[in-house]
Order: sequence, then structure tokens, then C-alpha cells
Amino acid sequence: MYLIGEFRETRAAAAAIQKLRAGGIGPGDLDLFSEEPVALPRGLLDRPSHMSLVSVLGAIALGSLATLFVRYAQNDYKLVTGGMPIFSFWATGVITYEMTMLGAIVATFIWFLWESGLVRKRDQRAPVPRVAPGSMCLRVRCAADWADRANEIMKGSGAVHIERRADA
Amino acid sequence: MAPAPELLPYAKIREDLFRPLSGAGSSYWLTMLAALAVVLAGAYAWSYQLRFGMGVTGLQRPVFWGFYIVDFVFWIGISHAGTLISAILRLTEAAWRKPITRAAEAITVFALMIGGLFPIIHLGRAWYFYWLIPYPNDRLIWPNFRSPLVWDLTAIITYITGSVIYLYLPLIPDMAQLAEHNTPWRRKLYRILSLGWTGSDREWHALERAMKLMAGIILAVAVSVHTVVAWDFAMTIAPGWHSTIFGPYFVAGAIFSGIAALIIVMALIRKVLKLELYLTDHHFNNLSKLLLMMSLLWLYFTMAEHLTVWYGNEPEEMTVFNAKTRSAYAPLFWGMVGLNFVVPFVLLGIRRLRTIQTAAFSSVCVLIGMWLERYLIAVPTLTNPRLTSATSSYFPSWVEITITAATFAGMVMLYLIFAKIFPIIAVWEFKPHVAEEE
Repeated sequence: MYLIGEFRETRAAAAAIQKLRAGGIGPGDLDLFSEEPVALPRGLLDRPSHMSLVSVLGAIALGSLATLFVRYAQNDYKLVTGGMPIFSFWATGVITYEMTMLGAIVATFIWFLWESGLVRKRDQRAPVPRVAPGSMCLRVRCAADWADRANEIMKGSGAVHIERRADA
Repeated sequence: MAPAPELLPYAKIREDLFRPLSGAGSSYWLTMLAALAVVLAGAYAWSYQLRFGMGVTGLQRPVFWGFYIVDFVFWIGISHAGTLISAILRLTEAAWRKPITRAAEAITVFALMIGGLFPIIHLGRAWYFYWLIPYPNDRLIWPNFRSPLVWDLTAIITYITGSVIYLYLPLIPDMAQLAEHNTPWRRKLYRILSLGWTGSDREWHALERAMKLMAGIILAVAVSVHTVVAWDFAMTIAPGWHSTIFGPYFVAGAIFSGIAALIIVMALIRKVLKLELYLTDHHFNNLSKLLLMMSLLWLYFTMAEHLTVWYGNEPEEMTVFNAKTRSAYAPLFWGMVGLNFVVPFVLLGIRRLRTIQTAAFSSVCVLIGMWLERYLIAVPTLTNPRLTSATSSYFPSWVEITITAATFAGMVMLYLIFAKIFPIIAVWEFKPHVAEEE
């Protein structure tokens, strides 16, 4: 069962989320839809993220791969250098740096697509509300016997319109 | 007094900012046709060069770097408008950045696309451009990763990838909104590009996190890109080039010309797209101050570079120094100082004179001045090499001039197309709510 409450004020939506969470609804069952980012108090509906870590790992991976590639490519030729090294970390520094940054950029973008859910298979049963300009919609997933209570909480917090939708 | 754009009703913001996407007046099409004509002339000039070889340019021994490399450095500099300025303003959470960032980010992408073309045009046999890429090959060519030109390649690939993503990410929410409001082909385009964005808090969280990370990364990349471009020169032991301050000098110059390009573009879109309510005096005033500050920084670097050379009094260095400041290139050099310092200092330094018009005029002067600066870095050194018997001169041919003009027209064309397909100001960044409006 899904309930969708429409709010006009961030405060009201935040109060509803706080009460719903106090009542036992987990953050995974709550989604706030809006046409612009809504700044909620810290801890209310935090979404843990590994984006920074992924970005660093992407950077290390591509930077290292690029450096190894340069080393391999330069040593692949049997040049006679009289014992002088053919590969230099200093001279390769720029390429290592740029590829490290490229790794971070690509990893951040891919992780954004994954973490935002844009490229993941979505739950087709979950209704996506149409958000009126300037307002926001709180979607609550709960058991059918919890729906009346969630409805009361949202109404009491200042929802201007509440809609119930059963699982498709 | 006009209200701050953030305080306007949200419906009006949407209407105003989405309106330029539909319909185009005769002035739009006339500008587009004029730009297209110049771009086609440039394409013809390039095809002529491809057919008859590099001999049709003014390049000759020992001047192998002319207009094309000047244009390359210039456009890569312009590209710093967007990503760098946008990233700085985003990281510092400057509220006045909102109507500016997308216009700036678009400049970056287009300037990089144009700038990236020049090394290929300069190659002569452009169809062999992939020979530049150092990879193990069967052509018995040892892949030299120590060449600054290879560094350029990697730096530009990284920068353009980052800039496109940095432009695309904040476009997603706007495209999702547009997906419901436009003609069938636009609906389809926006639906594909918005990737099914619903506006959930998970998506917003991910977007804001990604934008913050990208802003930090792109800053580091932008600084490195122009440093690498500077090293194309500085790694050569040629008089006037072999300088340790070339990296920061080029970066400062790039930001300087980037801000100038941004002011011009903003002044134009403000007028043409009737966005006076969103691009206000306040924005131009702040950007003018930034331009003025960069003008002073540019002067400092120019002084530091030239004073050190003059004090050192080495014969080869002084030959180039004298050519620039006292003989053949003196009019260009002092013209550059006037355009890059005197004009902005007077028009933007005196508060009474600082208006949108003077900011735009100063910016045009700065762009011309910065193009001259790049020319004065590249050409006098090559016409006055260490071997005095090899002294030469350089005059660009019609091919080089036409291709250069075409890139400016190309920029106008790309920008006009972009402004008709995507909102030039990010609507969602204004963040108003009904209750807050009341």
C-alpha cells in the first residue's frame, strides 16, 4: 500500500517524515518528490552514499592502469639506450594525473547513475506522483493496516492532499 | 527596483526560462545564417588546405606555430569560463551563481570542442590524427609519452569528458520537467536525456553529491589543462618560452579570458532572450569585479615575466623582448596592455562607469587583448630563434584567417542551437516553494 501526501512547506513535510519514522516507518519506505532539492534537517531522511569512495577508487584504478600502460608501451620496443631507463615517472606524471582525474570523473558519473536509481530496474508497483510546481509529495510505503495512521500523521503535519494507492 | 529572481513566483520562473526554447524570431535566424555562412567559409578553407597542403598557410621555417596554435591556446583559455568559474562559485555556495553557471558550463564544452580541433587542423594530414595517440603499434614508431603534445591530448580528453558530464548533470532535472511540456521530438529527446528522472530525494541527494565532487575534480583538471598547454611552450628551451611561471601565467590568463567570454555571452542572452529579470546588474557587477581582479593579476604576471627577462639581459631573450616591446610587435604588445589592463581598469575600476554595457565592452577588449597575448607568446619567439641567421617573419594567409573567423562563428552557432534546445538558466536551482513565496 502506498500513500502520497502533497505538501507546500518543507517544515510540514519534515514534520510528517519525523512522525512517520518515529512510528516505525523506515527511510527506505519514504520518498520525497519535488522539482528542486529540499533541504531536510540532518538525520531525518539521510541517504548513505559511497560516491566519494567510488570516486577515489576510480581515480586510483585508472591512474594506475594508465601508468602501467605507459610503462608497457614504452618498454615494448627493443630500443638500445645504453642501459638508460626508458620509462620515467616524472615525465609520465602528467598522464598519470590526468588519467587519475578521468577515473574519478567517470566513476563519479557512473555511481551517480547507480545511486540515484536512474539506471537500475525500478519497482514498477511504486507510483510516481506528479509534483505541482512549488510543492512536494511524500510517498509512504506501509502495510494496509498502517495506512490510516500514516494518513492521520500526514494530515496532521500539514499535507494539503493525500492519495492512497494499492500495489499495482 | 526589480525583485531578486529567487523571489519571483515559481510558475513565472518556469515560464520565463522555458520560453526561449519555443519559437525563434527573424534576428535569431539571421544571426544563425550569418554564422553558418562563416563556418562554411572556414570549412572550405580547411578543405583547400587539405587538398593543397600546409603550403597554403603562412607557416614556414622556422615559424611552424602560427594562428592555429594561437587559436588553440585561446580557445582552451576561453573554456575556463565555465567549468572553473561555475565550480568555484558552486563550491563557495555563492547564491548569485545560479543564473550564470549553465551559460558558463556550455561555453566550456563548446570552446573545448573548437580548441580541440586546432591541433588536428595544424597537422596538415588531418586524417592521420590517430598517429598522435601513443600506443604499441606496427609502424615502428616509439610511443613518446614525454611529449607535451601527448600530455595535451590526455588533458583535453579528461577536461572535455568532465565538462560534458558537469554540464549534463544539472540539466537532467530541467529536462525531466521539459519532457511534459514540449513538441513530440523534444519530448522524446528530453525523455531519453533525463533518464526517467522522477525528482525523488534519492535522486536529488545523488545529484548534489555528484555535483560537489565533480566541482572539486573539475577545478583540479581545469588548472592542469592550461598548465599543460603552457608547458607546450615552457618545456622548449626557446627564448621567451622557457619560464617557470608559464603554468600559472597561462591559468590566470585563461580564467581572465573565460570571465570576459562569460560576460559577453550573458549580456547577449540577456538581451536576445529577454532575461533581464534573471541576469541583473548584480550579476554583472560581481563578474566585473572578478574581471578587474583578474586583469590586475594578469598585469602582475606579465610584469613579472618581462621584468625578469629584461633584468637578466641575455642576448637571445632580449632579441625577443625587444621585438615585442620596441620594434615589429610593439604595437600589438602595447595594444594588448591597453586592452587587457587600461580599458578594464578605467571602465570597471571606477564604480560610476561600471555598467552592463561597459562590462561587455571591456570584455570584448579583453578577448582581443588575450588573443594578442597568445599571438605574442607564440610568434615572436619563433621569428627570432637562437640561430640569428634563421630570423624570419610570419603573416597569416587567408586560409588561417578564415578558419579562425569560422571558429568564432562556430561558437555563436553552437551557442544559439544550445539556447534553443536547453534552458540556458537552471530552473531547479532557484528552489522556491509556494509558502516561501508568500
